[in-house]
Amino acid sequence: MRKFTPYLILATALLALAIDLLPNLRLPASGTAGGTRPIETKLGLDLRGGLRVEYQVQPVDGVSATAADLATIRDIIERRVNSTGVAEPLVQTQGTDRIVVELPGVTNPDSIRALLGTTGRLDLVPLPREVYGFFNTATGQPTDGVKPVPGEGETLSDTSLEPLFSGDQIESSAVQIDESGRRVVSFKLKSEGAELFATWTKANIGSYFAIVLDGAVKSAPYIQSAITGGEAQISGPGASGFAVDEAANLVTILKFGSLPFPIAEIGVTDVKATLGAAFLGQALFAGAVGILLVFLFMLMHYRLAGAVANVALVFYVIIVLAIFRLVPVTLTLAGIAGFVLSIGMAVDANILIFERTKEELRIGKGIGPAVEAGFSRAWNSILDSNVSSLITAFILFYFGSSTIKGFALVLIIGVLCSLFTAVTVTRLILRAVIARKGFSSPYLYGVAKGDLDAPERGVSNG
Amino acid sequence: MDKIIARKRWFFLFSLLITIPGLLFTLATPFSNGTIGLKFSIDYTGGTIWEFRPESPADPLVVQEAVASAGHEEAVVTEAGTGFLIVRTKPLDLQVGQDQIDNAGAELQSIREAVVAAIGPIAEEGSVSTVGPVISQDLTQQALLLVVLGSIGILLWMTYRFRNLRFGLAALAALLHDVIVTIGFFAIAGTVADIEIDALFVTAMLTIIGFSVHDTIVVFDRIRENLVRHAGAPFGDIVNHSIVQTLGRSFNTTATVLMTLLTLLVFAGGSIRTFVLTLFIGILSGTYSSIFNASPLLVWWEERAQARKAAAARTRTA
Repeated sequence: MRKFTPYLILATALLALAIDLLPNLRLPASGTAGGTRPIETKLGLDLRGGLRVEYQVQPVDGVSATAADLATIRDIIERRVNSTGVAEPLVQTQGTDRIVVELPGVTNPDSIRALLGTTGRLDLVPLPREVYGFFNTATGQPTDGVKPVPGEGETLSDTSLEPLFSGDQIESSAVQIDESGRRVVSFKLKSEGAELFATWTKANIGSYFAIVLDGAVKSAPYIQSAITGGEAQISGPGASGFAVDEAANLVTILKFGSLPFPIAEIGVTDVKATLGAAFLGQALFAGAVGILLVFLFMLMHYRLAGAVANVALVFYVIIVLAIFRLVPVTLTLAGIAGFVLSIGMAVDANILIFERTKEELRIGKGIGPAVEAGFSRAWNSILDSNVSSLITAFILFYFGSSTIKGFALVLIIGVLCSLFTAVTVTRLILRAVIARKGFSSPYLYGVAKGDLDAPERGVSNG
Repeated sequence: MDKIIARKRWFFLFSLLITIPGLLFTLATPFSNGTIGLKFSIDYTGGTIWEFRPESPADPLVVQEAVASAGHEEAVVTEAGTGFLIVRTKPLDLQVGQDQIDNAGAELQSIREAVVAAIGPIAEEGSVSTVGPVISQDLTQQALLLVVLGSIGILLWMTYRFRNLRFGLAALAALLHDVIVTIGFFAIAGTVADIEIDALFVTAMLTIIGFSVHDTIVVFDRIRENLVRHAGAPFGDIVNHSIVQTLGRSFNTTATVLMTLLTLLVFAGGSIRTFVLTLFIGILSGTYSSIFNASPLLVWWEERAQARKAAAARTRTA
């Protein structure tokens, strides 16, 4: 096994480097939707600019929203967000009553807030047959009107159209399979809506009516027969009816076109993109200078061993960045600070090992045994220290809000990776180096020349 | 170097000197109506921060008057450097229901208009950030919980690894020292220089708690090893010897971390300056307390236990 470790480490490094540098790599996306997502470094809103709004779902008449309600509200808000065309929106539930919306790069925060916060309005609007035509149920042929029947997502341009009734008259809605095996969407109306619908459908068989959410048409079926009982079915276009997600979507709209609970804004942050870019540039520069200083420090103190630790540090940076891109970790300003901090911490294990090695060299051990003793004796301290950091990082990750979680995740990934690079990788390279002729002088490992013969000071010598 | 343990009382005294002033400032916070002690950012108090740069330089007091005339007498306006002004008010535009549609951004807009009327056009707007009372309440409760949980976690881990409650408690004492020093520093900085602590302060605290025990662990590890190697030697001598042996690595590990923090402090801007400064103070204090508090505390404890044993033995023989 040990024989293969070098190749394994080399392969890991190359793979990580590929993930870091190659553009346009993709991974299967999580979630039910399928598809793929790009592998990329995700930046938080504070670095790329954008709008973040946190909502609290308000109870109605003393009844609080359930987890299912919260998920529904999230879905509805996500649809509203998508209708704005903002790229890479993020809509998440948080805790028991919070919804967080993050929209990178928006320039019109006020109008977007107005759109998102609305409790929503669902209307069922009859489309007059003189204008929009009708469907001849006898011949099975549509007759075109002067205007085409509006498709999904279009807005009703004719403002004179009056809704027959609104979404509050819809009692329930479900996906069903009809007698001929097609997937249909059924809905049931409350008594007032049922009466209105019965009267209108009796007189208008073949006419179209539009289901309109917040002004946008969601579906525009025609009336096949008079609907007198308040229960209706909408058939889909294809031979097998609606596609699964199409039907589910329509049901959600009919059921929850309006939010089941109102939401209140409890926190809003709007960062200008130019500001974010400036912060990012500064943080990256600071990180680069930080790494350089650590490099120099290690070289000066531990010479050859320091150089080996620096190779391991480069390895560390490559791997951690690759993991950030794979997970993906959303990097905020605090996250980058965490990463820079973790670079300082990543060499700590090496310092403990090299100091121990120096001690063993001073008492006269050969370079090989001294290095091995350095690794094995320092291991306890290294493990204990890293577990301490992990304990607090996990507490932050578990209890923290999203910014704090991001920082904690950076720290957790950093600690785990540094255990691997600072111990395993360093040991591997160091073993290979000391096996070569001319690399065994204690001076190369940071021991001062006059220090070698000094007896061990301390308790036993008084 | 041979007398770190012998001089432990001086080090304890020094720790008292650096903790007590900060502690006094911290404790004064709730009683001084915001004039002394920690200054909390809007993350804790709730409120709105709006940054903008006027086309021609403007006096913050003039802007403050303009904002007050728009109905926000609570507003405070300060300069941010680089030509930006910062306006702090109570939370603006957190709207519910239909108001979110009708009045989105209306309150800020009225302030903006009042400011433009007073000092002329605005060249550039920075970020706007509003925190409502709900979030700020959450955060304050969460802060205390996290610090307590973190401390307990470290206490349990140290006690488990060293199979000795004294080691756990000594490590806990050292990290509480660091927490108090750091909070105290910001209580004084808040009073003198109006430096505010924000949501990230707690994150920094927890990171400090996790990191400040690193040096403690290195010394304790060596003490454990030397207890076996030099069995029979006086405990104080063993501890002193262990501290001296590990001094180099304590300084070096701290140096690399402080180096990276310092570069962030110098070059990085924005919301993380206070965060990085917090880490810097805490980690610096952590190294001091590991070497000069945690281990001497072990010795003090051991000597007391032995003195008590000796006293008990004397009474028996007498």
